[in-house]
Amino acid sequence: MNIHIKNLKKCFGEKVAVNIDSYEIHSGEMLGLVGNNGAGKSTLFRLILDLIKADEGSVRMIGNFAEQEVNINVSETEQWKDWTGAFVDESFLIDYLTPDEYFQFIARISGRSQDDLQDFLGKYEHFMAGELMGQKKLIRNLSAGNKQKVGIVSAMLLQPQVLILDEPFNFLDPRSQSAIKHLLREYNQQTGATILISSHNLQHTVDICPRIALLENGFIIRDIDNSDGQAQAELENYFQVD
Amino acid sequence: MTNWQLYKLIRKNDELKDLRHPMFEKNRFMKFLAWFMILYYAAIMLLMGVMLPMGMRGTYNGVAAFHVLDGGLIYFIIADFWLRFMLQETPGQQAKPYALMPIRRSFLMNVYLTRAGLSLGNLFWGFFLVPFALLAVYPLLGWSGFFGWLIGWWLLFVANGYAYLFVRTLCIKHLAWIILPIIVHGGLLLAMLWPDKNMLDMPCTLLMYNFALCHLWPFLLMAAVIALLYWINYKLQMNMVYNEVAKKEEVELKHATQMNFLNRYGALGEYLKLELKMRLRNKTVRLQFLTLLGMMVLFSVLLYFTDIYDNGFMKSFICLYDYVGLGMTMLISIMCHEGNYIDGLMSRRESILQLLYAKFYFNSAVLLVPFCLLIPLMAIGKISVWMNLGYLFFTAGVLYPICFQMAVYNKETLPLNQKLASRQGNWVQQVVSIVMLFLPIAIEKLFTLLLGNPWGFIMLALLGVVGLSLHGWWLRNIYQRFMLRRYTNMDGFRASRNF
Repeated sequence: MNIHIKNLKKCFGEKVAVNIDSYEIHSGEMLGLVGNNGAGKSTLFRLILDLIKADEGSVRMIGNFAEQEVNINVSETEQWKDWTGAFVDESFLIDYLTPDEYFQFIARISGRSQDDLQDFLGKYEHFMAGELMGQKKLIRNLSAGNKQKVGIVSAMLLQPQVLILDEPFNFLDPRSQSAIKHLLREYNQQTGATILISSHNLQHTVDICPRIALLENGFIIRDIDNSDGQAQAELENYFQVD
Repeated sequence: MTNWQLYKLIRKNDELKDLRHPMFEKNRFMKFLAWFMILYYAAIMLLMGVMLPMGMRGTYNGVAAFHVLDGGLIYFIIADFWLRFMLQETPGQQAKPYALMPIRRSFLMNVYLTRAGLSLGNLFWGFFLVPFALLAVYPLLGWSGFFGWLIGWWLLFVANGYAYLFVRTLCIKHLAWIILPIIVHGGLLLAMLWPDKNMLDMPCTLLMYNFALCHLWPFLLMAAVIALLYWINYKLQMNMVYNEVAKKEEVELKHATQMNFLNRYGALGEYLKLELKMRLRNKTVRLQFLTLLGMMVLFSVLLYFTDIYDNGFMKSFICLYDYVGLGMTMLISIMCHEGNYIDGLMSRRESILQLLYAKFYFNSAVLLVPFCLLIPLMAIGKISVWMNLGYLFFTAGVLYPICFQMAVYNKETLPLNQKLASRQGNWVQQVVSIVMLFLPIAIEKLFTLLLGNPWGFIMLALLGVVGLSLHGWWLRNIYQRFMLRRYTNMDGFRASRNF
């Protein structure tokens, strides 16, 4: 699924949060979004997910879904929700459910069978490290890292063609960070899904994203080709990492 | 910093907490309405305070008017206690932001407990009691009687306030503590209402009479009771501050109910499960829900066993309240609890529509509770079959569609597990509440007037059946309008989250 961003602008009062003339994310691409706090990463994700209203411009998703060509503006229809999975923050989680219940809820409202769900969760057993399933713990009683895992797994549960994860490495222990990198890369290769992640962790972003967009004050100031890992030096230079 | 400076700073912060609430500036009309309602109730109380002693002309059956009122002291205490659930926060909740700061916790507790005791809220009954005392106590006992009697009442309300804080704090620990005041108040009511033998009339009258005579012992007695309740609260609240900070919630569910019987309804069944689990697993929602169910039972029992509501209007009103109470308090803030996870819902296709369906089916099913509770009243002929059916169908088919309109306009997130003491409602919610209470009565009276009995209730039932049969249409209409306002609502939900 291609994502076309055109003349997209969002301001909060005087502050410009996002201002992108034109940007295209190609089908099957893994794009990393980096930038300092307040650069506009989360706002851009929320605009793509139609969770906030753009002052100007549009986000379109163009491609094939269920053997049909689609070309839609995300603010005009809900169709894109069928092929998009996302986890931005805790407001995506229903915290009075257990992880099992939450996964079942997502699966059932999306028309996935119980067997499908079990198969899917089986693949993520290593990532969940036996701390989520069958625990009888409500999501609100989980640690921040485990909440993050619930969010990521539920976003991927639909096997979406577009996957959007805001700061997926936050709160995760090193083993889980490594596991999620592996899972995302594998998912991208197997399904050809378009994956967008934002992160403050340059190393992880460079490791898994062949393309990286650098945001500053709402503008994409650099579109870096990282197909052979050359973005590391450029990013370190920008962020003045010693 | 001196204690006095610190006290002023805490008081200023508490004021800012209200002033900077995200809904504060958006609800000017609501603020006006709130003040208007306070003035309205104050005016009614003033009027009653004047009319009652005048009606009794100083005495009633040879007993001084104030003795008659004093005999009913327990009713005031019980009403005052339960009204506080809507308005008063516990010191543990208020002190939470300061819990990890270098401020002595004992100082904080003393500040908040003393403020609770000296709160203006404890003087609200004064609108009724002051004119009453002026007309009924002063002529008989002079100014000393006037002041002694009023101070006595005030001390009772202060003690009642501390008793409320104690129970409210225990309820935060575990909801089951709500049974404590129910048992105590139930026992007191039983003693008051016992046929031909009111056991509390004389002690209450004597206590208040001794206040009016300015005898020392009732003041000392109340001071001791207040001091004891203060001390108990102090100990309990100190413990609760740790709990508020550490949030030592039950970490593991004892029973993770699967509700598999709802699986056959597919996606709708999942949203029904969600609705049920929201009511069962979140303290605030559960307390609200159970309190309302308790009130339904209480009203029905009162109607069945006593004759206090036996006049036609009150019977009709109480039956109606049985039906609309739930809608007035819970559905009026529809979607506000979902504000906590609105982004997740909005990223699923038509999830809001499914949720609306689930809410409608669930709340309609809950209406069977008042329907069943009122069946015994039908059996003994206190209410008619048509009244019960009329209110049942009208609530589900007409009042619920009105209530559900709030899904389009509500944009304030309500906490699922914290008390809603300082919540700012909005004016639309108030208007809908008033419509819910008076529209059915107005329609029923109109058609009874035009067509005679029982056509008023038959018309209510018919209108309700029409509304029910059109539920698919009006739910989708609400959903479409919600989607048109989604950005405004989502902004509001995000801004008011965690307040």
